[in-house]
Amino acid sequence: MNPQLKGIETLAGTYLFDLERSGRGLRLNRFLHGLTRPAKRALFKEDPEAAFEEAGLAAGERRMVRELDWVALIRYGASFFCLEKLARVKGVSNPEMVSAFRGETLEQFLKTRNVPGAR
Amino acid sequence: MATIIGGIGTSHVPTIAMAYDRKKQGDPDWAPLFKGYEPVTKWLAERKPDVLVFFYNDHATTFFFDHYPTFALGVSAEYPIADEGLGPRPVPPLKGHPALARHMAESLVNEEFDISVFQDLPLDHGCHSPLTMFWPPAPDWPGKIVPVEINVLQHPLPTPLRCYKLGQAVRRAVLSYPEDLKVVVVGTGGLSHQLNGERAGFNNEEWDLKFLELIDSDPGALTKMTHADYIRLGGTEGAEEVMWLAMRGALSEKTRKVHQNYYLPMTAAMAVALFEEPA
Repeated sequence: MNPQLKGIETLAGTYLFDLERSGRGLRLNRFLHGLTRPAKRALFKEDPEAAFEEAGLAAGERRMVRELDWVALIRYGASFFCLEKLARVKGVSNPEMVSAFRGETLEQFLKTRNVPGAR
Repeated sequence: MATIIGGIGTSHVPTIAMAYDRKKQGDPDWAPLFKGYEPVTKWLAERKPDVLVFFYNDHATTFFFDHYPTFALGVSAEYPIADEGLGPRPVPPLKGHPALARHMAESLVNEEFDISVFQDLPLDHGCHSPLTMFWPPAPDWPGKIVPVEINVLQHPLPTPLRCYKLGQAVRRAVLSYPEDLKVVVVGTGGLSHQLNGERAGFNNEEWDLKFLELIDSDPGALTKMTHADYIRLGGTEGAEEVMWLAMRGALSEKTRKVHQNYYLPMTAAMAVALFEEPA
């Protein structure tokens, strides 16, 4: 156990991106990271299944990306910052992702914010 | 000889860049943010530093987890703006200061701070989202930067104390550079926010304000905290605050905070603080 993280296990609703999660999510994160390159992005937009095939994603990984299942993706081992690339390509905002993590609609989430228009 | 004339701590949320690029200065939802940066912009315009040394983090944009550097120093003359999924922002490439950066690399490594070194790589919003708020390109950037990347994404992260010591080592490196340069150190990230799990959207204004006080008056107390403490108090991404500690470590004991602004509109607390060194 990393002594810097002592006590973190008591924190509910938190998925820390550590080496175990990074190892498990490497192939998926590499695919997501690839969306920063115009050619990969174009392929994903035109033919997502071909992009999944090229990246060698497993069936479960493909499903999560196809359905934009943000909760499952983060639990599985996606880095939030790699998911951000997918969100940008799909036109999904960070508040929308955050509300999904919380199990809320965007409207419910925005009601908890100080300035709902600042997005 | 080179001197460090001050420091800036600032959030680097991508929406700060979005607000700038979409010219939201007059939008009431964003005006408090822009207003908070005005004294920093004015100070930089008056003091005219040659170089900003930027402690920032990459967001799995330039670097990927197949080889994620704990500390990486940029030594290029130029850095392209990174494509984070929507194409690069419409701002010019960032200008580096290779001679100072090379000197810093030597100084750091020779005192056993074994950073990695990069060149000719793009930089993401962790660096330039706050930069446009206080050093806008009009039309080109007013000066040069030396980027110092810190891993705050993939645990194990460098400890808060180590980040503070990095700042101290950077201070020694800058002050031993023979050319007359005015340098400002910048630490980006935070304040409280969390972007994963059911706890996503977590904020802690009380802790944020305490942090803004301690980074000025007692950074030593902040170096004694663990990452678990930062995450409990400020969320998983609140741990980015260690980059402010690197900035603070590069300042002298006599520095004082002359301005701060705090704005929490949505998911991440947006703060900026300006530190000045006595003349």
